[in-house]
Amino acid sequence: MTRYAELQVTTNFSFLRGASHPWEMVATAEALGLEAVGIVDRNSLAGVVRAWTQVQKMGPGTHVRALTGARLDFADGTPSLLCYPSDREAYGRLTRLLTVGQRRSQKGECELHWEDFLGHAQGQLTLVVPPTRLDDDFERRLSDIAGALRGQVWLAGARGYGARDLHRLSKLSGLAGASGAPLVATNDVLYHGPERRTLQDVLTCIGENCTIAQAGLRLQANAERHLKTPTEMARLFARFPGAVERSAEIAERISFDLSQLRYEYPDEPVPKGKTPIQHLRDLAWAGAAWRFENGMGEKERRTIAHELDLIEKLDFPNYFLTVNDIVAWARSQKILCQGRGSAANSMVCFCLGITAVDPTKEDQDLLFSRFISEKRGEPPDIDVDFEHERREEVMQYVYRRYGRHRAAIVATVIHYRPRMAIRQVGKALGLTDDVTAALSGTVWGSWGDRVPDEHIRQAGLDPHSTEIRRATTLATQLLGFPRHLSQHVGGYVLTQRRLDETVPIGNAAMPDRTFIEWDKDDIDALGLMKVDVLALGMLSALRKGFEMIPPDESGRKIVDIADVPQEVPQVYDMLCRADSVGVFQVESRAQMSMLPRLKPRKFYDLVIEVAIVRPGPIQGDMVHPYLRRRDGIDKVSFPAPAPEHGPPDELKAVLGKTLGVPLFQEQAMRLAIEAAKFSEDDADGLRRAMATFRHLGTIGDYGRQFIEGMTARGYEAEFAQRCFHQIEGFGSYGFPESHAISFALLVYASAWVKWRWPDAFCASLINSQPMGFYQPAQLVRDAREHGVEVRAIDALTSDWDCTLEPVAGERLRAVRLGLRQVKGLKEEEAQRLIGLRTQGVHTIEGFARGLSRRTMELLAEADAFCGLATNRRQALWAVKGLAGEAFVETAAPLMARQSLKEQQIELPLMSATREVAEDYRTTRLSLKAHPCSFFRGELAALGAVPASGLKHLRNGRSISVGGLVLVRQRPGTSKGVVFMTLEDETGIANIVVWKDVFEANRRLVMGGSFIVVHGQLQIEGEVIHLVAKRFTDLTHLAAGMKSDAPVEDPRHQPTGKLVSSRDFH
Amino acid sequence: MAAVDQAAALAGLYPGQKATDATARCPELVTAESEPEADALALKALTDWCVRFSPAVALDAPDGLFLDVTGVAHLWGGEAHLIADLRVRLARNGLHFRAAIADTPGAAWALVHFGKGPAAIAPPGEQAALLGPLSPAALRLEPEAAAQIERLGLRRIDQLADLPRAPLARRFGAATLDRLDQALGRSKEALTFRRAPNPWFARLAFAEPISAPDDMARVGLDVAAKLCARLELEGQGAQKFHLSFHRVDGKPQTLSVGLALAGRDPARIAKLFAPKLETVDPGFGIEVVTLAAEGVEPVAGRQVRLDSLLEPGREESLAPLIDRLTNRLGEGRVWKAAPVESHVPERSVTHAAPFAVPTARGWDPERPRPLRLFRKPEPLELVMALTPDDPPRQFQWRKRLHRVRLAEGPERICNEWWHGDIDHVSTGLVRDYYRVEDQEGARFWVFREGLYDPGHAARWWLHGVFG
Repeated sequence: MTRYAELQVTTNFSFLRGASHPWEMVATAEALGLEAVGIVDRNSLAGVVRAWTQVQKMGPGTHVRALTGARLDFADGTPSLLCYPSDREAYGRLTRLLTVGQRRSQKGECELHWEDFLGHAQGQLTLVVPPTRLDDDFERRLSDIAGALRGQVWLAGARGYGARDLHRLSKLSGLAGASGAPLVATNDVLYHGPERRTLQDVLTCIGENCTIAQAGLRLQANAERHLKTPTEMARLFARFPGAVERSAEIAERISFDLSQLRYEYPDEPVPKGKTPIQHLRDLAWAGAAWRFENGMGEKERRTIAHELDLIEKLDFPNYFLTVNDIVAWARSQKILCQGRGSAANSMVCFCLGITAVDPTKEDQDLLFSRFISEKRGEPPDIDVDFEHERREEVMQYVYRRYGRHRAAIVATVIHYRPRMAIRQVGKALGLTDDVTAALSGTVWGSWGDRVPDEHIRQAGLDPHSTEIRRATTLATQLLGFPRHLSQHVGGYVLTQRRLDETVPIGNAAMPDRTFIEWDKDDIDALGLMKVDVLALGMLSALRKGFEMIPPDESGRKIVDIADVPQEVPQVYDMLCRADSVGVFQVESRAQMSMLPRLKPRKFYDLVIEVAIVRPGPIQGDMVHPYLRRRDGIDKVSFPAPAPEHGPPDELKAVLGKTLGVPLFQEQAMRLAIEAAKFSEDDADGLRRAMATFRHLGTIGDYGRQFIEGMTARGYEAEFAQRCFHQIEGFGSYGFPESHAISFALLVYASAWVKWRWPDAFCASLINSQPMGFYQPAQLVRDAREHGVEVRAIDALTSDWDCTLEPVAGERLRAVRLGLRQVKGLKEEEAQRLIGLRTQGVHTIEGFARGLSRRTMELLAEADAFCGLATNRRQALWAVKGLAGEAFVETAAPLMARQSLKEQQIELPLMSATREVAEDYRTTRLSLKAHPCSFFRGELAALGAVPASGLKHLRNGRSISVGGLVLVRQRPGTSKGVVFMTLEDETGIANIVVWKDVFEANRRLVMGGSFIVVHGQLQIEGEVIHLVAKRFTDLTHLAAGMKSDAPVEDPRHQPTGKLVSSRDFH
Repeated sequence: MAAVDQAAALAGLYPGQKATDATARCPELVTAESEPEADALALKALTDWCVRFSPAVALDAPDGLFLDVTGVAHLWGGEAHLIADLRVRLARNGLHFRAAIADTPGAAWALVHFGKGPAAIAPPGEQAALLGPLSPAALRLEPEAAAQIERLGLRRIDQLADLPRAPLARRFGAATLDRLDQALGRSKEALTFRRAPNPWFARLAFAEPISAPDDMARVGLDVAAKLCARLELEGQGAQKFHLSFHRVDGKPQTLSVGLALAGRDPARIAKLFAPKLETVDPGFGIEVVTLAAEGVEPVAGRQVRLDSLLEPGREESLAPLIDRLTNRLGEGRVWKAAPVESHVPERSVTHAAPFAVPTARGWDPERPRPLRLFRKPEPLELVMALTPDDPPRQFQWRKRLHRVRLAEGPERICNEWWHGDIDHVSTGLVRDYYRVEDQEGARFWVFREGLYDPGHAARWWLHGVFG
């Protein structure tokens, strides 16, 4: 039988060109009996790891090889080359070559010249790709190339079923003979099977920005560019003996394989004369002494020793030292940081200060093997959160310390998501903009393998129409295709040798940023080292809060999360009341309604609180069983297999901590192993399948295996089903216990600050905006409800940030709002104002001399000159007159010479409602009054009660509540239910809108900003909901506040919203 | 969103809103692409049309017109009647508008945009009273200034007018004062009036009605000479001419001719009309003849181009021939084949105007196409070919057997899947085209329908002939 290796395969990592995933190419090549499949994307190695991984996944017995290569397209007219490095060194040269090309170009592009290639040509096996027209220029260049690369160059010929294929191939064969670059057969593959032609056509249209009707000859004439069997290739090239077999010979000469990328960790942090493990041991034991001031027990000691031994055995000490180095530097700069994720399972990480979780602590009992396992053989993965405003400093440190040639950010592959897919496919198919907009509008959140007909019908379109079905079918195929590479938020890959000899490095859109071509999964698959430098707003807020908190009686100041007093009962009291506005994680509405039900009384309760309100437990229907057991309504019991299959308490070890109900991701995974008897490999496969949606098809298989595995052993089918739903729910948002613990630490710390120092809490949160769930208006309101005085923005006293001002006789200080709250004001201008103030300036005239006209107007309109005993209008009038000086000289020279002394002008007084509206317009909040307070009469007439009164009413009563819409949510797990949060002058009301009510009132629910909801009260303990039945729109009233008096003419009615809500869908 | 209709406004939608927000609020919203350029053109056309009401009409983009009706209104019996007449005429075309007449353009603008009712007429010298209660925004201020003036609590023009002028100018610029003065008639405003284009039209009237064919040919030439002289003067030519003979009984009879290239040679134009004159029935005589030109565009004096594609002097040779053929055979009957970018042979050719400039791409030599492509492929019989995709060795076409001596192919062309149902897309819907030469040297373009399918006889077709 003929041997054949397809050496010209373009995958979908040549964006908008290839129409199959690398793994599809590899799997098909194996099925067709090819020797090898060579992935050559355009000036890129982005897809090669995925092809290689597929070969590993298919396991032993796989015949096909995935060859690593790139198609080099040149900017200087040199014909394209398919370049295959034959060994590790040549591979390093190829990645360096691509790095050179990418670094000199814009993001996503690569400019290469023939001279660049010549400098990196050693060890590369190359195939010349002939251009469409075989002219003299090509002949000349071919003989130059063949001369320069003698013995390592071939000429690629393809049969694409064009009119003159054989003519062309004969000519190529002649050229091959003359130049000494033998002809080798390829099929110039764009997709794994001919049925992808349709999608490839659509991709071409998207790339060319045209419709399919206009595309014409830019499309391929036929569907021949798929992988073909060796027999078929032999038939097609029967007239050119040797061309097909030669492909397999070339493949044989390639000894390079991605598994040869041996990984070496950087050794910077190791002092001279010490081995890395010695150094790590020293640091770990020193850290242990710091963590356990009062001496540590035998258990802790054993754990540390065990971990260190394993780290030594697996040769990871440099990794820990590197992460420690980054964290230690951040600490030295007083940047708050904390490890998250599975690293929290490690005692060594705790001692090094990378994480703040003691894994040996009672209740927690975390297992190191979840972090590093000898069996899995994967490198460790430590994610560290830093203050979001200062992460850039950390990143720059990493570059400084390891150099740009050894440190770079990992890529994120941006995939086609439903909205984008349907929009672009619809455009390519020539659907009008409103149809594609309507279609993409039907997509809320997730989208399975097809668009449900009812969604399309809702959008007013016919799901059975040919055009619509064509668009949705193709868009579905396009889902999960890579669209472009982008830089990961903070994942760094660090190497000992030059990084650009392992992977090409390109420019990011941001200046001074570079990122590699591979993403997190690729890095994992190859076992390279990665550190995630992530940003977390709450860390910024906590650090700022700590700085504002005065030292305690003993003079101790809080500088780290660990310094926060532990287990204060009042903090838990506060959380049990769902009094958690601004507290990390548990401030969301779903968490708030969980708090009173879960009633956290100790730290581990917070861990569960954080983990339970997640898609996993919710979809697995695990929440209620857990709560009932916690409340003692149900007995704690453990699901058990039939007696003949195992001991009844086989799950006790897994589920003991959570009362027999699986809540954490690793519990669900343990169930697969313990109850469904998955092998470690299968469990790992399941975990991977969940992590990415590209293996959409395989999840179903695992699901069957899981459920059958459990039921066969006598577990209840319903329980097995729920467990698998839960696993599905975790999806890519895996939430393991260690992660929940890390987050719970921040929950507690922020809750403590809120309870003890609500003044500092409010100021620090506002100073860290944007972050969190609530806007400054709600944070201010919450602070005032907790007895904190909040003072208005004042040009005479406000800093850029909010500050605390002492209040005589009070423990808490007053929050002075910062100038940052003034919409549109630039920080430099604010600093200049503060500078003027320190020089003794404190009049409008004085400020006007040093500040821009715009700044002065912004301040006046924000009522920031209130401290100068002038109202907003007088201030604006004055400011405009002063700052106008320079302006008048140019625009109206006649008036310039007139004296600035002018008569006092009486401007109409601003109404109270208008004042509030102006406050909202300029600063997004008002301390004067709540907008609803002006409309209590209208609200009462509509039967609306104040939100604060709800808790005194009887469950099930029909009532009405009116207020501003703060938040609208339509979570993917809620099956079409919309949650709204309303705010009136007395408090917040939570609204539930069921799907049918939503559909009937869609316009109002989506668009209203001031509404009255009529519905039924639902009280469950401290959780109060209003289930909406009807709505009344009062948006025009709130908008009307923006003018002084009612406007009769509808043409000149103020439009828009007073307050814009935050919508999540 | 650029504009909303009344129903949308009632639903709470407004211009300036994001279209996505609007659709979310109102999923049944029907939107159409905003076409500001087309709107501007339409407004220009309306301006030209309004010349019947006033010789001086100015555009007020994006949606207004200024008409200077000084000394004109009496023709309609007063200003109110003028507005009424305008309203009736525009309403017939589906155009509704608000109107105001005042001493100054500024006052009229304010009353139109901010006044009450569909029409307002400010008696001479009394606009100040009418403008007083309107919002300062009615003064056509910069949006920034208008918003700030409103925020200062100055909600009426009279409040603004009462303020001392210098402080006001210092704050809101001289432009604000200018607008105030213009509206109140304290200063003049110069409008740019649009001039209606002079129509390309010539007319000859006769003292004695004519009816002899020779006379008709002569007056045709005369009127053509008259119009062409004007065209020549302005360096223009036209592609179409309409010659109308107005009979004594008032019935015009119109003939039209077209030119392949815009021209202005009166003799040539008259020659094109000549064969059609016999169709004109002069009745009791013709008293007026008119000639209108259409598709007027600039042409060079001699219309000779050095461009190698366009041979010099073809106006004298080929163009008149094409014009004569076209005028005899009918429009669209004289054409040349031009390539269309499509893989499907039937779609890859189109009719182009005889002098159309060839598209850049042209015909691709790597995709040889027959000189004559049949509109419908013709079936072949007795085809012998090796499977799966070798060229035929013989075939019978129109009852004659051809033995293939030379062949090239296949060129595989798939159908255009986007015309049909996505479920019926199949990679088997292909044609394999072959270029074949028979023993007599005749060349054919034949194809096999569908991929080789064992057990099914292949169907063969002939789609064209070469040379």
